[in-house]
Amino acid sequence: MRYDTCLGCGGRLNERVKESAVRSLAGQLASRTRYPVMYRLVAGLTLCGICMNQLPVMLGPSCPQCGREGSQLCSDCHNITAETLQSNRSLLRYNEWGKNLLSTFKYRGEERLADFFAKLLTIAFYRYYEAIAFDCITTVPLHAQRLQERGFNQVDLLAKRLSADLGIPVRSLLVRTKMTAQLSKQAGRTARVESMEGAFSWAGERVQKNVSGSYRVLLLDDIYTTGSTLRSCAKTILAHAGPHGSIYSLTIYR
Amino acid sequence: MREYLLYIKTGAEKMLSAQAYVTPCFAVDQSFWQEREGCKLHVIGKSPSLALAFSLREIVNARLKEQYGTSHPMSEEGLAELRELAVQQVRETAVLYGRDMAGVEPPGPEWFTWETGDWSVSVTPEIVEDDGQKLKLRLATSTIQKVLDGRALLWEETETLLLKREAPIHDLTAVLQRMVLSERAQWRPGIRFAIKKSWWKHRLEMSCERCGSRAKDIEYTVCHSCGQGCAYCTVCLGMGRSKCCTPYLLVPATREAASDEREAGRKTARLHWSGSFSRDQAVAAEQARRYVANPRPGLSQFLIWAVCGAGKTELLFPSIEVALSTGGRVLIATPRKDVVLELAPRLQRVFPDARVIAVHGSSLEKWEEADITIATTHQVMRYYQRFPLVVLDEVDAFPYHNNPMLERAVARAVKLEGKLLFLSATPPQYLQKRLVAERKEKLVLKKSKLPLLRSSTHVLLPGRYHGSALPVPRIETIPGLYKRMRANRPISSLLQIVRSTLAEGRQLFLFVPRIDDVERVLAYLTTFFPDLASQMAGVHAADPQRDEKVRSFREKRYRLMVTTTILERGVTIPRSDVVVLGAEAPVFDEASLVQIAGRVGRSSDDPMGVVLFLQAERAASPKAAVRQIRRMNQLAKLQEAQEERA
Repeated sequence: MRYDTCLGCGGRLNERVKESAVRSLAGQLASRTRYPVMYRLVAGLTLCGICMNQLPVMLGPSCPQCGREGSQLCSDCHNITAETLQSNRSLLRYNEWGKNLLSTFKYRGEERLADFFAKLLTIAFYRYYEAIAFDCITTVPLHAQRLQERGFNQVDLLAKRLSADLGIPVRSLLVRTKMTAQLSKQAGRTARVESMEGAFSWAGERVQKNVSGSYRVLLLDDIYTTGSTLRSCAKTILAHAGPHGSIYSLTIYR
Repeated sequence: MREYLLYIKTGAEKMLSAQAYVTPCFAVDQSFWQEREGCKLHVIGKSPSLALAFSLREIVNARLKEQYGTSHPMSEEGLAELRELAVQQVRETAVLYGRDMAGVEPPGPEWFTWETGDWSVSVTPEIVEDDGQKLKLRLATSTIQKVLDGRALLWEETETLLLKREAPIHDLTAVLQRMVLSERAQWRPGIRFAIKKSWWKHRLEMSCERCGSRAKDIEYTVCHSCGQGCAYCTVCLGMGRSKCCTPYLLVPATREAASDEREAGRKTARLHWSGSFSRDQAVAAEQARRYVANPRPGLSQFLIWAVCGAGKTELLFPSIEVALSTGGRVLIATPRKDVVLELAPRLQRVFPDARVIAVHGSSLEKWEEADITIATTHQVMRYYQRFPLVVLDEVDAFPYHNNPMLERAVARAVKLEGKLLFLSATPPQYLQKRLVAERKEKLVLKKSKLPLLRSSTHVLLPGRYHGSALPVPRIETIPGLYKRMRANRPISSLLQIVRSTLAEGRQLFLFVPRIDDVERVLAYLTTFFPDLASQMAGVHAADPQRDEKVRSFREKRYRLMVTTTILERGVTIPRSDVVVLGAEAPVFDEASLVQIAGRVGRSSDDPMGVVLFLQAERAASPKAAVRQIRRMNQLAKLQEAQEERA
């Protein structure tokens, strides 16, 4: 089932107004050769023309490691010594609108939004990672108790749709062994990093390496804030995939 | 994961009392029946899906009534047949659910798991001595009952509410199940389903127990809470997720609680109001008061139809006083949050000893107890048979109007045999038909269009409290209205009224049909009145500075306000005029235009003003609005004449 109103403003979806917005956004997101693919994806977003123009897409240069806006390696990434993630890329800036929409999806439980968010992830994939041949998609798992409370894992819903779009299989490689508080309820960056230490453990089977011997994993999440969740996941995967594993993460918000 | 057990209770000998029950804790049921009567409990089976258990209960109950209505004893074969029926039903449900969820893997081996039970328990009555534990349980029950009194809550909400009140929630399921068995509460699944059979296609019919939405508003989902086929309601999602596996608890307000408060009621009802009614107001208020005070059952709805500026809120005071003095709680519901915020302090001033709370989405008082609750119609959804008097203000306003979910919610908040009082300046047609009788003229051929002034179900107040007639709008058709606007060509009647109004030191509302028009009209006016630009502003619903701008307008810092329909009601600004630009647009229906016209001439020192409807083409609703206003003036005159004669 799909929404028939704009997710940004609740107004009607006027196709004529939308058309020019779609063209300009798709043009900015993709090279000329990939424009048709991007156009179709952008046109599928349930946003009206005005909201489409206001979509906080990160178009400028970004940190090569974590995808934050800025022309070189950002200070946070500079300080990290043992980097486990190959790189992170995100599509949107995390603003007030994104916050509300994401909380409607995650905490209110509006699962119909999964279609919209999955589309955003697909756009991000085509923008940043199209050239990489991934072996599988995996997601950041929820703790069993949290999953029972919430009833669904929001990232799993996205992964399923993304996998259908891209043809890359989803594997659940991880389980969460530690229940951590919500990010906003924790004290700071270091506290977050510490709480994430050893929060995941391996649940996948033996890794089947592809022809070149490497193992590339696309790790999904909804938001990259400090990156400690994703790094902790990557560390666990790397420990089992061996030296040839490489993990790229993709999130909607940064 | 909670599991729900379905069992049939039969009396010791006769089958007459056979009935099916659903329970999350069978032991509690056993001990409950043990205290009361000797009976046999036959287990049918259990499932983690609450909605499934309830749908089976309904089917089993129907079958019991049909086959065992007479005094057959329950045989083993009969039981086996019922168990088989349940299994079949589960299988069919799973197939139908799976068909709707095509392409999705079920979380378990099947969409629905059902474990057939095949044992029966005989319960012999036993008088159990009241030991410490029993006493504690009884105490907990009464505390919980008091907190939940008159509320309809999802399981999560119940828990938060009880935690907030520091009630003991240890063993909550057992306590609630006891309340359900003794018929002091009901519980249901958030979403319930039933198999709808037809010659064409059988389907699974889902509906939300809380808001009544069905079919396409219910979204199927793979649920990790119950591990079964599940669904949630998208319509009332903002108030918490109503799912197939979430218990929804309904606790009607009890009589005892009401009589408890009777003594206190006398005190809280003290009306402290120094204002006075006009003659017509006094009559109307008295009529409403009599309706509320009338203990005769059957009179459940009453309409106060009072034109804009008749002083509707004051009319309520005597009715509220009566309801409070008999120990009841009063609910005033209205679709708009602004109205809630405006009403609460006003009523608190008038009823200084009563506790008044304002309940809306972001209110902190949402879970409090009070004598007078002023709530948005959405929040009313959380009440269940709680209030002996419910007043519904602005019946015809968005979002209540034409919203079956909210209508249902308000109707449910009224206690059994309670009173529902509608309040409106422009009651919708269906309400008029239901409650307003038409005037019967002696000549059959000449059927008068004027409604009756009062009957047992309504009272009409056609005149304003200051006695002057309502300003009648002037309609003007301007061909190419929007074209002129875009090309910045002068629209003389608009410019003239803006000039004269502002020159006289009055304020002007300029209503436009769409949000985009606000900016456009503002720009247009700025080109013609560049020196007045600082005194003009525009506002619409999504404007982040909305409250601030409206406040500035009230304080006369802005003299001209371009607005969408958000200011059509609830705003009183003395010495103001109104222009509607594009009155033919469908957002301006008859009721809306009458409300807009009602902004003008509300204070007694300036009872007249200008109302101008500018339309690009001829349309029905401005005409109808003018007709309605004229009729009201006519009625007011008639009433005056009658009174002089009397």
